[in-house]
Amino acid sequence: MAERAYITPIADEDLYVLDTASWRVYRPVMDKSKCVECGMCMTYCPVRAIIGTDDKKYKITYDYCKGCGICAAECPRKAIEMVLEGGAE
Amino acid sequence: MSYIDVLREAEDQVTPGASACQGCGGELILRTVLQIAGKNTILGVPPGCMAGAGSVGWNFNSGVRIPVTIPLLDNCASLFTGISQMYQRKGREDVNAVIVAGDGATADCGFQSLSGAAERNEKILYVCYDNEGYMNTGYQRSSTTTKGSRTSTTPLGSVINGKVQHQKYVPLILSMHGLEYCATASPSDMKDFVEKVQKGLAASKKGFAYLHVFSPCPTGWGYASDQCIAVARKAVKSNMFPLWEKDENGYKINKVIKDPMPIREFVQGISKFKKLTDEQIDSIQQMVDTRYAELERLAGKE
Amino acid sequence: MGVIKVLTGNYSASEGAALCRPDLIAAYPITPQSSVVEYLAGKVHNGVLDSNLVQVESEHSAMSVVEGAAYAGGRVFTATSAQGLALMYEPYFRMATLRLPMVMAIATREMTSPETIWSGQQDAMSVRDAGWIQMFCDDNQEITDMVIQAYKIAEDEGVLIPVNVCYDGFYSSHLTTGVDLPLQEEVDAFLPPVHFNHATLDPDHPISLDPMTPGNLLMKYRRSHLEAMKRVPEVVDRIDKEFGDKFGRYYGGMISEYRIEDAEIVIITVGGMTGAGMDAVDAARENGIKAGLVKLRFTRPFPAARVAKALEGKKAFAVIDRSVCFGWSCGPMYMETKASLADAADQYCHFSAIGGLGGADISTDMIYSTIQKLEDNKETKTELETQWYITE
Repeated sequence: MAERAYITPIADEDLYVLDTASWRVYRPVMDKSKCVECGMCMTYCPVRAIIGTDDKKYKITYDYCKGCGICAAECPRKAIEMVLEGGAE
Repeated sequence: MSYIDVLREAEDQVTPGASACQGCGGELILRTVLQIAGKNTILGVPPGCMAGAGSVGWNFNSGVRIPVTIPLLDNCASLFTGISQMYQRKGREDVNAVIVAGDGATADCGFQSLSGAAERNEKILYVCYDNEGYMNTGYQRSSTTTKGSRTSTTPLGSVINGKVQHQKYVPLILSMHGLEYCATASPSDMKDFVEKVQKGLAASKKGFAYLHVFSPCPTGWGYASDQCIAVARKAVKSNMFPLWEKDENGYKINKVIKDPMPIREFVQGISKFKKLTDEQIDSIQQMVDTRYAELERLAGKE
Repeated sequence: MGVIKVLTGNYSASEGAALCRPDLIAAYPITPQSSVVEYLAGKVHNGVLDSNLVQVESEHSAMSVVEGAAYAGGRVFTATSAQGLALMYEPYFRMATLRLPMVMAIATREMTSPETIWSGQQDAMSVRDAGWIQMFCDDNQEITDMVIQAYKIAEDEGVLIPVNVCYDGFYSSHLTTGVDLPLQEEVDAFLPPVHFNHATLDPDHPISLDPMTPGNLLMKYRRSHLEAMKRVPEVVDRIDKEFGDKFGRYYGGMISEYRIEDAEIVIITVGGMTGAGMDAVDAARENGIKAGLVKLRFTRPFPAARVAKALEGKKAFAVIDRSVCFGWSCGPMYMETKASLADAADQYCHFSAIGGLGGADISTDMIYSTIQKLEDNKETKTELETQWYITE
């Protein structure tokens, strides 16, 4: 958005977005066979990188996930594992 | 709608890439509150971690999808008094006036304006994410910092070992202001938290609503980033951070812990507590027990 | 035509504000301002005035509440003095730098220490570089009229800067005179409803107000603020004429002048001392001294061009300040008058006079002694020691 007179620019179409995925050292990987779709990972994800899908399941997205590991620590079924980025899955 | 469905369905109002630390409790609180508050909200985020994380934006870009401003560290509640009153005046009572502020802006230098707005029962939802210190400036002590904590201004010296005083218990003080709604919440107890945000927003249509939310800080407190919820859960289980609310029916303890975890166990694994002496641990335990007994008395338990 | 009422200076400010139909008023007491907001509270509580009234818990919150209301597009009013002004400095500076138009009355008062509650202009002078327009009145009629004009100046789209309408605590704030109050419909016709939207928080048009701003952009804002300040004199003149044509009272714009056409000696005054100054000029004239007076009506922006022009061809001048400029060992308006003359100051005999601090009186005799001193030295073209109006 262009500069305005006086002061104050900005509207919501121009979000300030950091590439927080680049911070990630460990990547959360979900084992769908263990997942019971309880949604705990989604509720506790501080980045809201885990989203609900149309079929009532949950999906980890990696565009902004910082790799904090909360989802893995909180999953009651231990269905999420933190895997070193760049390493073999 | 269950709280999980609420969080599933509601749009995230914060920039997807915010520079809060990995595993930040404050980021989780901010996103959750705004998901529930929704688009029809004017947001204030004073200087502190959540402003520092970019929620108010930078240069020509905003950090959220709703109107937002950064109040002064000490005037959130009075600035939003003006905003809220103008919206009431325009007949736009539907607009939510929401503040998400840290403990410095709430309990310390912002306390006067907060107290004033609460006493006037201004139509505002004020959410304090309490990470027990000035984390954004490098973790200095605040009045809500737990006794014995190592902070940048209460270091572990050979003469003085961490913070000398007990924390100021802000939610109970606020609850005595004749406001509409007052509650504590923890990200570990999401159902309770979500319901309290909903209740707080509804209350803010009638008067002042205050939510005091426990906000663990991996960077400042010193624990692994994946332990955020675990630390919050232990705070609730040890009565370090009891969950209660006060509404038109009086005080209510929302989660009664049968056999509270000893404080000695709560402080384990958090490096700001690493050098606590037995005496300090006993003192915190005593404070926690006394405070809980007071809450029980207020909630009408014999 | 209006209604004549007998009013104190404070009530004159309240009546002026009420006629401008503010959306929100913040009320907090401090001597000598308190009765401004008390009077407005009475109007609101009696249903005479439809404004939101917020009884805040400090001046810091007074300025914050009106600032918040301005973030939602409201026309707002409050008033303060001395320590209250100092306490509100944080949101005060922000109000101006966000270019939010409002009017705040200041019943000026000395700053503590030593402890004092009495008159002086140190409070307003100390914040003259916080981005506000500041103007000083010397009678109650001018207070009412200038509160009304101040909204029009502040809200002018070429300006958008808040305005302080200052007047001397006690001397003006508590003394009563007859004031010709304009009628509501006349003011409504003079002052259109407030409209500005560059800094409005609205869910239908979401913006971020005050994101972290890099230095280069910040400098553009500052430059734009300074440029707006430069436009103020012409806006003040235009509104002075418009007001005068409508209500029959013209004030002369940024400064007003008294008997200076053929004067050799000029005294420059700020605020309520002007009346005594005019008496002293009259007395000097009777004794054959060619004296005249310039009243600084606006101090921000400083009316440099008007002052320089008024002093053109004169021999000597003194500026009487009711405050001090610590860094220059003189009064602040003297310092700025000298700055507006630059090298041409060498063409005059001149000095700073300081008096009336902490509620002390500035008498006609004192001002006469200043005129006499200028008369005695008018051919010297030198700067003389600061004169203090202290009675031993």
